[in-house]
Amino acid sequence: MVNVELMSEQMNNNQQIGKITAFCCNYTASVATDTLREAGLIPESLDVKKLPCTGRIEVPALLDAFEQGAEAVFVAGCRADGCHNLSGSRRAEKRVGYTKKLLKELNIDPGRIEMFFVHCGETQPIVEAVREMTARISKLERLHST
Amino acid sequence: MISGSNLEQILTSGQFTVTGELGPPQNGNFDVVRDKARILKGHVDAVNITDCQTAIVRMSSLTAGLIALAEGVEPVMQMTCRDRNRIGIQSDILGASALGIKNLLCLTGDHQKFGNHPQAKGVFDMDSIQLLGMVKAMRDDKKFQCGDEIKSHEPKLLLGAAANPFADPFEYRPIRVAKKVEAGASFIQTQIIYNVEKFAKFMEIVRDLGLHEKVYILAGVTPPKSVGMARYMKKFVPGLDVTDEVIERLKGAKDPKEEGINICVDIIKQVREIPGVAGVHVMAIEWEQAVPEIVSLAGLSPRPGAKTVEPRLRSFEAIELIVSNAKEDAKAEIEKALEKSKAEAQASRDLVTKEKERVTSEISDLKRQAEEAKAIASQKETEIERLNAELAKTKAWQGHAQVVKGLAEKRESSALSGREKSALTSLRSGLEALSKGLGINEDQLEAMRRFFEAEFLLHMDTAEQVTVPFEEVTAPSEKLEKPEAEARHKEVVNLVAKGNVLLHKNDSAGALDAFEKALAIEPEDQKAGEGLKKAREALKIAAPAEEAVAPAVPEGVPPCPEGLSTEEWQRKWVIRLVARGNVCLHKGDVKGALKAFKLAIELEPEDEKAKAGLLKAESKETAPVSVPAEPEVPEKAEVPPTPKPKAAPVTEELKAEAKKEAPVPTVPTGIEDLSVAELPKETRSLFERAGSVPRNLFTESFTGAIREVSLDEGEKALTIGGASTLPFHLFEGDMPNALRVAYEVLDSEPEDWPDVLGKYYSDVFSDPVAWARKCVDDYGAEAICLSLVSTDPNGMNRPSSEAAKKAQSVIDGVDVPVILWGCGNAEKDTETLREVTGLVGNRKVCMGPLSDANYRSLGATAMAFHLPVVASTPIDVNLAKQLNILLENLGLSLDQILMDPSIGAIGYGIEYSYSVMERIRLAALTQQDEKLQVPFICNLGREVWKTKECRLPSDAHMGDQERRGVLMEAITASTLLLAGGELMVMMHPKAVALTEALIKGMM
Amino acid sequence: MIIAEQKPLDEILEMISGIEKLLILGCRGCVAVCSTGGDKEVGILASALRLGRKKAGKPIEIDEETYVRQCDPEYLEPLKEDGKKYDAVLSMACGVGVNFIADLCPEVNVLPALNTSFYGANLSSGEWAEMCAGCGACVLHLTGGLCPVARCAKSLSNGPCGGSVGGRCEINKDLPCIWHQICEKLTGRNQDQLLREIVPIRDWRPSGHGGPRRRIREDLLP
Repeated sequence: MVNVELMSEQMNNNQQIGKITAFCCNYTASVATDTLREAGLIPESLDVKKLPCTGRIEVPALLDAFEQGAEAVFVAGCRADGCHNLSGSRRAEKRVGYTKKLLKELNIDPGRIEMFFVHCGETQPIVEAVREMTARISKLERLHST
Repeated sequence: MISGSNLEQILTSGQFTVTGELGPPQNGNFDVVRDKARILKGHVDAVNITDCQTAIVRMSSLTAGLIALAEGVEPVMQMTCRDRNRIGIQSDILGASALGIKNLLCLTGDHQKFGNHPQAKGVFDMDSIQLLGMVKAMRDDKKFQCGDEIKSHEPKLLLGAAANPFADPFEYRPIRVAKKVEAGASFIQTQIIYNVEKFAKFMEIVRDLGLHEKVYILAGVTPPKSVGMARYMKKFVPGLDVTDEVIERLKGAKDPKEEGINICVDIIKQVREIPGVAGVHVMAIEWEQAVPEIVSLAGLSPRPGAKTVEPRLRSFEAIELIVSNAKEDAKAEIEKALEKSKAEAQASRDLVTKEKERVTSEISDLKRQAEEAKAIASQKETEIERLNAELAKTKAWQGHAQVVKGLAEKRESSALSGREKSALTSLRSGLEALSKGLGINEDQLEAMRRFFEAEFLLHMDTAEQVTVPFEEVTAPSEKLEKPEAEARHKEVVNLVAKGNVLLHKNDSAGALDAFEKALAIEPEDQKAGEGLKKAREALKIAAPAEEAVAPAVPEGVPPCPEGLSTEEWQRKWVIRLVARGNVCLHKGDVKGALKAFKLAIELEPEDEKAKAGLLKAESKETAPVSVPAEPEVPEKAEVPPTPKPKAAPVTEELKAEAKKEAPVPTVPTGIEDLSVAELPKETRSLFERAGSVPRNLFTESFTGAIREVSLDEGEKALTIGGASTLPFHLFEGDMPNALRVAYEVLDSEPEDWPDVLGKYYSDVFSDPVAWARKCVDDYGAEAICLSLVSTDPNGMNRPSSEAAKKAQSVIDGVDVPVILWGCGNAEKDTETLREVTGLVGNRKVCMGPLSDANYRSLGATAMAFHLPVVASTPIDVNLAKQLNILLENLGLSLDQILMDPSIGAIGYGIEYSYSVMERIRLAALTQQDEKLQVPFICNLGREVWKTKECRLPSDAHMGDQERRGVLMEAITASTLLLAGGELMVMMHPKAVALTEALIKGMM
Repeated sequence: MIIAEQKPLDEILEMISGIEKLLILGCRGCVAVCSTGGDKEVGILASALRLGRKKAGKPIEIDEETYVRQCDPEYLEPLKEDGKKYDAVLSMACGVGVNFIADLCPEVNVLPALNTSFYGANLSSGEWAEMCAGCGACVLHLTGGLCPVARCAKSLSNGPCGGSVGGRCEINKDLPCIWHQICEKLTGRNQDQLLREIVPIRDWRPSGHGGPRRRIREDLLP
């Protein structure tokens, strides 16, 4: 929970860094975000989108998140060996990989998107993910002017 | 003689031949070629002039060859197919021939990828063998490749080709040599030989094929300049076999260059001993200086003198010009001299008369002078001729010399993007697991179930609430109007059912309440009384245990779910407790946190996180609490609607969003009422509604009609089919018989029914008779479909006789029609169904499924007892028709047949089923396809309830599990009704009610 | 089928630099099957271009559409009018589609989004390889069904070149030497005689070296 507090502080301090969009699996990552949200710990700049399964995610959705103002995007799915739909999160990982390739071609830092694997109900990996993405974009120029 | 070249003369003379190699420069430097030629001159019989070897741009082989020729070295011009098409090649060959080149080595050429222009377009109009054939035809048949005649001066060239004894497939290499010989090669030069043993084997096959008698084979040798070069050739030159021995020799040598020469000489000596080897081809790459020494050390010098080597190129025009100029000069000089002598003669003539004697002497003097002048002129002419020869040589080369220098660059290998092998493997294994999971393999089923259950339990907080559907029975507004007594009875049945379900779920208090309510309405209800008793007993047992746990552990450890070991479950629960404690702590609810941590430590005394949390909570307990504490842990389902205290700076908007997204309040809870409102009925006919639209615009006339099939006899008998129009098109035709729904009853306890379905029948699971009766009595079933699942050889494999007895008691136990549905194993079904028919007496039970595997035996039985049957085929119009025809041929009437076209649930291939049913029905109605004029039976409940969507627990995203399942079943049924289905076999009472309401509303 | 590959995004962005209203037009033919130009790829490209243009500060309006095929006139009919509404139409069909649009819809500014690569087969999900060169004079009956024109780096007709080692092609060790395979196959079937016969020099006219190709079937002409 110490980390959660840290994250909260860090993100609120860095709100000028911009929006982070998170695509979360309904069965694992969302449980964690719900827990955090109930604790009032979801920072303003984190936009959580729930999916029945991260395997459902398509490349345009990830690109559109950037187009709609996200400075960074991450996908949080089940652990690769514990996916509710067997291979959903592995598919998501591949699509994140493809999106990285496209971002590179668009001269956008591919580090702005990442895949995270999360144990059901654990808040820590989500906290880590948000911190990681916040750290990454704080080193980069803004993608969208404020 | 073919070309009469020096090479040809030496080869045919039987002497051991030596050829060399000369690589033209990557520039236009005449001297480089001339100097190399001078080094080789006299030591080899002919010199190969390479043609942009390894696809690097160099001076053309024709030009360099001519320079060599001018130096008195006979060239073997190399010609590749990489850079020129047949037009360019033939043109160059004519030129080469004209200028005195007599040997041509025909090659396919190294691929441009290896050179300094990998971007170039490779021509490859033909290959080396076709090139040999083309040049041979030019020479021998005097024909261009197109067939046109070469009228004179056809190119007389001795043709050679290359062979690589070290390339694969080894056995094919001599055959390829044979092809080259057949195509026109007179001599063969091999790839560089280091592995003499392998070359000897190659020569053996060559001799076996008799090739050594048809072609001169020159063994290729190269002195390795250094260990590095040897290693490079071994590693990077495809088809070059450098032995370890060679590398060792070079490594150990004091002077590697000298050793290289020795190696080369040794190899020459060895290959010379191999029968059929006519000579050697020494390729001293950029080391021409070594050749004289090698040839001499190998004992091959001196070479016989080159007899026929002479340059033919002369610039005759230039020579003529110079000669005529010189002639004119001489003439002018003579004339000048003559004029001078004439003038002098004139002068002397003047003196003639005076001095006759002097005249005679003077004339003789002049004559002598004229003689002298002539001598000078002729001397000059000789000088001019000499200069002329020099000039012609130089000028001839200038025309050819345009060589571009390029940068050498090597393309990186691996153009193909590599496979993501691991990804593919994992994909495959994922699919494998999925397919197994959907199959009937028990282990997989177990794994899947464990997975789902674990998932369900992790959502415990939300699920607990939503899976207890009868929290409050409120009278729904759209309830059907019914006589009061009936309504009361229904209420009681509902309450009793609910009580039983709750009892089954260990909620004794709830059950007690339900039974008491039921008794309040109908004090005489026997079932309710019994239930009440049971509930009270259960409550007594449960009470002390609950009390013991309650004070210390308010939440307790929920019962361990099936599929998880107690330890696993406990570990998971501890993680949750710690998480809960942390959240409480953060929000300032120290008490809640203490409680959670303590409980966690109680379960797992060694848990570090819990201990740390407890310490923190205890330290906070003593400190003043700045934030108001919340009464309840937030994960609990009953989130109070009051706004939460702010624990972190979160905007109101986000909070609102959070609340909106919070799963609990939005989840509709269960099915509260099995009754369904009537569909508002359209009272006006379509024609009325259509107004002035002419009828023929929207009506279709059907010429066929569906047959009627009777299920059972007597009061409750059903007639299925009879329609003369598409479903519900009552404005076009008739549907004399209502569409029907049968309840599916299993002859053994179902293993994998979701609770939201199972709860309606769980009290009668063990007794199919009671189950069937419940369907009829409580839910108003019009027909029963008894699934003989227990007989499945892959499952319980209950003996046919036993299953038949059970079936008989069900048939006897209800008065509605019964459909007996076998387990799907053709053999076993034949056995079981025959057994049943022997027992049931007069009841006209319907039997199924009849497939192409067992229609004969079961068809015969059906005929004997005149029973209706279900003809089952795998989603195909023609197969369905074929089975009907087969049954008819057997003697069955089509009036006895119900078609089962194979059903997929919505989302699981229903469109396929729909399409096939629609086509069958249209064929029956519009094309009078008599064999298809048979009603449909759709066994859909089992398909729907086995889908994943029906098994996932309730949550905010997917909504309530029971509603979801019911809607899937009802929508599947309504879709199949629209496709033409007449008899639906279903499971969930609410789904049946919805379907029946639809049928009623539409007819 | 025809295998194609999407052009790099920067090349496409350069191509559409002056465009403000764009239609991305996919094709449900070969390019959809090889996952280069179907509905899905249209969506991805549209999203990527929108993002790229937004980042450059020049937002673009993009519509997405996918036709059944772009190589039959009836499917292109609606584009004649609809295409005028756009500054450009970015076709995700093979080169055939782009050409045909240019032919049939002269008022449409059509641009290619793909590089048309080759005629190939789907080796496995995400992997394609060239199998045919469309040379117009098939010799597969002589080569055990394996094409030396398309699958040999030098399009040899008379057996493997001297660079064939261990069944691999000399220009790329990842490629099999197709002539090695042909030898093995024909030998295994006792058809070695085919390997001994000299295959004459080819007539390359049917492969397009005789000018653009056209095929006519009288009985089907309108």
